[in-house]
Amino acid sequence: MKKIIEINHVSKEFKVLNRREGLKGSLKDLFSRDYKIVRAVDDISLSIGQGEIVGYLGPNGAGKSTTIKMMTGVLEPTEGEILVNGNVPYKNRTRNAQEIGVVFGQRSQLWWALPLVESFRILKDIYQISDADYEEMLSLYRSLVDFEELLHKPVRQMSLGQRTLSDILAAFLHNPKIVFLDEPTIGLDVSMKDKIRTLIQALNREKKTTVILTTHDMGDVDALCQRIIIIDKGKMLYDNDIEHLKGFFGAYRTLQLRFDGDIAGHAKQLKEELALYHAAVTVEEEWISVLVNEEKVRVMEVLEAIQRNRVIRDMKLNEISTEEVIKKIYEEGVM
Amino acid sequence: MKKRNLGFYLRIYRKILVQDLKSKMSYRADFIISTVGMIFTNIAGFVSFWILFQNFPSINGWGYYEMLFLYGFSLVSLTPVQCLFDNNWSLRQYVYSGDFIKYCFRPINLFFYFQSEVFDIKGLGQLVFGVGTLVYAWGKIGLACTPVMIIKTVIFLITASLVMIAVQNAAAATCFWINNSFYVLDLSMRCKDFARYPITIFSPLFKFIFTFIIPVAFIAYYPSLVILRPGEAPLLSWLSPLFGCLFFWLSYKIWIFGAMKYSGTGS
Amino acid sequence: MVIKMNLKKYLTLTRAGIIESLQFRASLFVLVLGNLLYLTVVYFLWKAIYASAGTDVVNGMTFSDTLIYLVLATALFNFMEMYTVWDMGRNIQSGKIVLDLLKPMGYRSYLFWSFSGSFVVNFFGVFLPTFLVVYIVTWGAIPIGISMLYFVIAVVMAVIINYSIDFIVGTICLYTESIWGINIMKQVIVLLLSGATIPLAFFPEPFKTVAEYLPFQSIYNTPLTILLGGTGTEAVFEALGIQLFWCVALLAFSSLFWKLSLRKITVNGG
Repeated sequence: MKKIIEINHVSKEFKVLNRREGLKGSLKDLFSRDYKIVRAVDDISLSIGQGEIVGYLGPNGAGKSTTIKMMTGVLEPTEGEILVNGNVPYKNRTRNAQEIGVVFGQRSQLWWALPLVESFRILKDIYQISDADYEEMLSLYRSLVDFEELLHKPVRQMSLGQRTLSDILAAFLHNPKIVFLDEPTIGLDVSMKDKIRTLIQALNREKKTTVILTTHDMGDVDALCQRIIIIDKGKMLYDNDIEHLKGFFGAYRTLQLRFDGDIAGHAKQLKEELALYHAAVTVEEEWISVLVNEEKVRVMEVLEAIQRNRVIRDMKLNEISTEEVIKKIYEEGVM
Repeated sequence: MKKRNLGFYLRIYRKILVQDLKSKMSYRADFIISTVGMIFTNIAGFVSFWILFQNFPSINGWGYYEMLFLYGFSLVSLTPVQCLFDNNWSLRQYVYSGDFIKYCFRPINLFFYFQSEVFDIKGLGQLVFGVGTLVYAWGKIGLACTPVMIIKTVIFLITASLVMIAVQNAAAATCFWINNSFYVLDLSMRCKDFARYPITIFSPLFKFIFTFIIPVAFIAYYPSLVILRPGEAPLLSWLSPLFGCLFFWLSYKIWIFGAMKYSGTGS
Repeated sequence: MVIKMNLKKYLTLTRAGIIESLQFRASLFVLVLGNLLYLTVVYFLWKAIYASAGTDVVNGMTFSDTLIYLVLATALFNFMEMYTVWDMGRNIQSGKIVLDLLKPMGYRSYLFWSFSGSFVVNFFGVFLPTFLVVYIVTWGAIPIGISMLYFVIAVVMAVIINYSIDFIVGTICLYTESIWGINIMKQVIVLLLSGATIPLAFFPEPFKTVAEYLPFQSIYNTPLTILLGGTGTEAVFEALGIQLFWCVALLAFSSLFWKLSLRKITVNGG
């Protein structure tokens, strides 16, 4: 597979002003020059092939958006080198911009007051898209979404879902080689999320566009990504298939249980009782989940221990979910 | 990929402009009120000017009509900054909220793309006022109306306007470094009010400041001299078109430098 | 007890405002620098104007009177201008106003006290230094005495009048979509007719009388002419009386206008 993004030992440092608290602190800050260096990205290397959909994950402040800004040419790395499509992005921002598309889930890049079709016409000029390519893209869009409904509506009158959809369509309009999607499904309802995921998948399939997706929604990851990259505190924690990742936690299974009566009370008691069994107890609406590591203890034993003191009304046994895998990695790292 | 030349940028600007005007017309009440506001501002400016001259016959050897000429000249040369670069006023909000980043991903000039987003049509009202004043003062002073004079006036007006654009660009760009740059912009706007007075009233230190550091003297005084009192005009007056271009270029560099530096900070 | 609690919740807003304005340290420096520059221009301009006039006293004002007047008008403007119209307009457009209405105090007081922090900062950071500089530069021109006390009273009332006018104009934004236009009109009218740009003493006759019958002159002209002295005690009390009248009238009107207009939000959902 042809490599489209290559990142070698890249780091990025920022200078931040130390701020003090309270009224006195702000008065002192008025004259202070107390800076500290923050290493937002710390020695990251990776390469991404053409046509891949990669999930780029990490908790807030992990360094995701800094990496993306470096790949889009907005930021210059402090150390290391980045090649996007054979170019060094920050050295030639405009040339790089021609080959990429960017979507921020919360910030529309379209002209607020204009109907979508007018935004598209301006983009057509800016990216110098030929009439034939433009028409072809529009007819592809027509086959994928309710395009006509969007086309003549000013962006400011759209719902959040329609706006995100439009932003994604705009980002793919000039048929870029890479599209960066930053939390594209944030704040959307379930059916809209589904629509957006289907659209991204279809565009990736039709146009062989490489997609780099940052998200906190594991539903996005499950639906779209074969491969994920996880970073935290600027360092890379994981870069491989999702299935492979689950292999790490293959011995984990989730026991979901329902009881009569006060759920919080049950959960509290269970936490104490199961401390010996290396099992983690969490509450999800009316279900209590117990995460069991089968290398250390068998599920049946845990179940027996639970039943000893109470009656189980309902239960389910699940393989570990992506959500839980990621959560465990954020909390404990990869062993 | 085709080369992106001046024609390319003009075509895009025109397209965005037409769309922008169309959408402005859909907020009709705002449009009318803003236009009235603009007219108010100009009338109030004239009234202050008039009240001043009710009390004092001349300022530093400059009579009523000559001062009126300066006033009109500054109004006209301030029109482009009002019309074409009004988005500078929103810059700090884009930077503060982080939305500025959206301008960084397009394959065209960042400065152009940002400024193209807003065309402030209200500025045209100011242009009408300014031209009216200029013509009125022109007649009262009894200046010759030859093609050479008119061409000279137009050239000096255009280059003078570059100075104010430069001042505003530089002032707006400070938001890339400091948090609340509103005061800087506000100050730069107040500076334009100083532009309508002859620089000879200041002490040498401030003459220097208003000529080279905050070059407001190039907005009306220096270029006007060439037309009003060509005999007295110093070399600086004749060179003012050059200075206009120089200041504009400098401010553009500062703006772009700031934008590049800003996008380097966090999210 | 209740009063103490109430005061506390307002003073918290003041404190937050002070901290917030101190965060923007650079802007504070710029504000001071900008004022110095502005004052220099005013100084040279009026010096030239008086030099051309040929007399020392024009319309009863000497050069140093005019200078004090204009400089302090700028300083007063800096600490009185709270950009209320902008804030209200933006909150109305974005719909954030609905959140502010949920706060456990009247919107009018909430807005005022939120601003009071930058008020305090600007008073100590801008007004007081400017006042001292002008006092020293024009040594003897500002009489020390009871007129200082009257001045302070007049400024307090000026703040209330200015805020009420702002609030009324801000309320108009509920009806129009225009913020910029409304705001600029207000600013232009207030600055001109209050005597902030040119002292009212310089206004030619019909204008002067009209301006004296309007509330705007109470904002800048009244406190500053009181400070400069020269008028008798009776005239001072008369001016303060007029201020008090406008204070009460505008407070009442702004409150009434807001209440009536609020129905519009609650009916239309903002």
